[in-house]
Amino acid sequence: MTESFSQDDLREMASHWLPHHKVPGRFRIHKDTTDFFRVEYDDVVVLGGKPYLIRHNAKELRFGLDDEVKFWVKRAIDLRNGRLKIMKLVFYEHFLARIGDIEFECFRSPKKEARILDLVSRHKNFMHGYGIQDEKDNLIRILDFVKGMPLSMYVGNMELGHEAYFYGQFQDILDHFFECVQAIRFLHENGEKHGDIRRDHILIDRESGHYRWIDFDFNYRHRENIYGYDLFGLGNILVFLVGMGDVLLPDLKRECHPSISTLSEEDLNLVLNNRVVNLKKIYPYIPESLNRVLLHFSKGANWFYENTAQLLEDLGEFRNAA
Amino acid sequence: MTGEKKSTNKNILIAVDESENARRAVSYVGQVLGGIEGFKVTILHVIPVPEEDYFPTSAEKEKWLSQHRSKVDAMLEGYRQILIRAGFHPGDVSVRSPMRYCPSMAECILAERDETEYDTIVVGRHGLSRSEEFLFGSVSSKIVTHARNCTVWVVE
Repeated sequence: MTESFSQDDLREMASHWLPHHKVPGRFRIHKDTTDFFRVEYDDVVVLGGKPYLIRHNAKELRFGLDDEVKFWVKRAIDLRNGRLKIMKLVFYEHFLARIGDIEFECFRSPKKEARILDLVSRHKNFMHGYGIQDEKDNLIRILDFVKGMPLSMYVGNMELGHEAYFYGQFQDILDHFFECVQAIRFLHENGEKHGDIRRDHILIDRESGHYRWIDFDFNYRHRENIYGYDLFGLGNILVFLVGMGDVLLPDLKRECHPSISTLSEEDLNLVLNNRVVNLKKIYPYIPESLNRVLLHFSKGANWFYENTAQLLEDLGEFRNAA
Repeated sequence: MTGEKKSTNKNILIAVDESENARRAVSYVGQVLGGIEGFKVTILHVIPVPEEDYFPTSAEKEKWLSQHRSKVDAMLEGYRQILIRAGFHPGDVSVRSPMRYCPSMAECILAERDETEYDTIVVGRHGLSRSEEFLFGSVSSKIVTHARNCTVWVVE
């Protein structure tokens, strides 16, 4: 469907959702988003006959580094109803990712994300939205804006000692995270990888309380174990949650932590050499059944999870016992 | 318990890629069996159907596939010549490069074996670090674990 909007139409619609002084006098209208740098603040992108007013570029929030502006990801307002959307324009990139000493090939795929959006349209543990092509066949994703903070920030902001956190907060967080692992199992059962499993790629929906996966346009060239990297990501988040943050070897050394002398190479993350995984050595009240799950992601492990079902089974054992 | 004797044929399937380990596996078979009558070798490279997501357009996918197939053909011919130089009769060395959807390369190789008559599979062992093997899996380890009714040689 092709629909044209006059400047008056757009001004009238925008006036419902913006304060009077912020309604632009004139709108630049895009139906071709190939050059996403040209799509700027106060422009309108028309997709499938729907006008979206562009607001800010999105930023990648990561570990206290300067936020990286993602010029292909825009905040937008659906001018028909005022709903806030995230608009992801088409940006292809191939690159070699690196974790520890391991290099592997990654790429960004709009097709993948659009396909998964379709698959998870009724799943409470994923962001929702849809893919739509602009007039040059660029596959754009229009996402519902999830109000809420990333899981990483939620846990990182807690002003509690670890023991109080572990006995007071952790169980509830784990219950929600368990659902997230089940959600990844759902993807895998449908032949899809998440591709970029990170603690800041789970948002806690302020309205529903559900934990929701975001950003699944990344893919990686798998080798023998198609879902291995996703599982590694899940393990890293679990260790982060149990530890109420990363427990880093340099920090323990600096603090002259009493357990430092008991730690060996085998207690560290399988790939990330400065992260402690055997958290029971740091927090002795962590139950054995939970710590055993963590150890599958350590250098000392003699067996790595091959699928989410195995991880869920082990986590389930701990939850049932708790 | 009866000791039923299974007859073993002399058909060898060498599963290869472009790695040095695969070349070593081919050379090893040449050294061990070259010049001995009766062995037939197939050099197999399964081309995984490239993921749809990897290519922005289907034209790019077709272009990649065509270039890749030429590379694979050249690679397989190179391996075939190694065996012929080692004493195999040219008629006893064949090559195969089917394209398959491969979530697991090991399973694809084993599926090829199931459809054909090979009692021995030969693979090279990639020099993966432990972490790498944990994270991304190892084709040779999986073949060793999952192969049934055949012998597996893993060449270091």
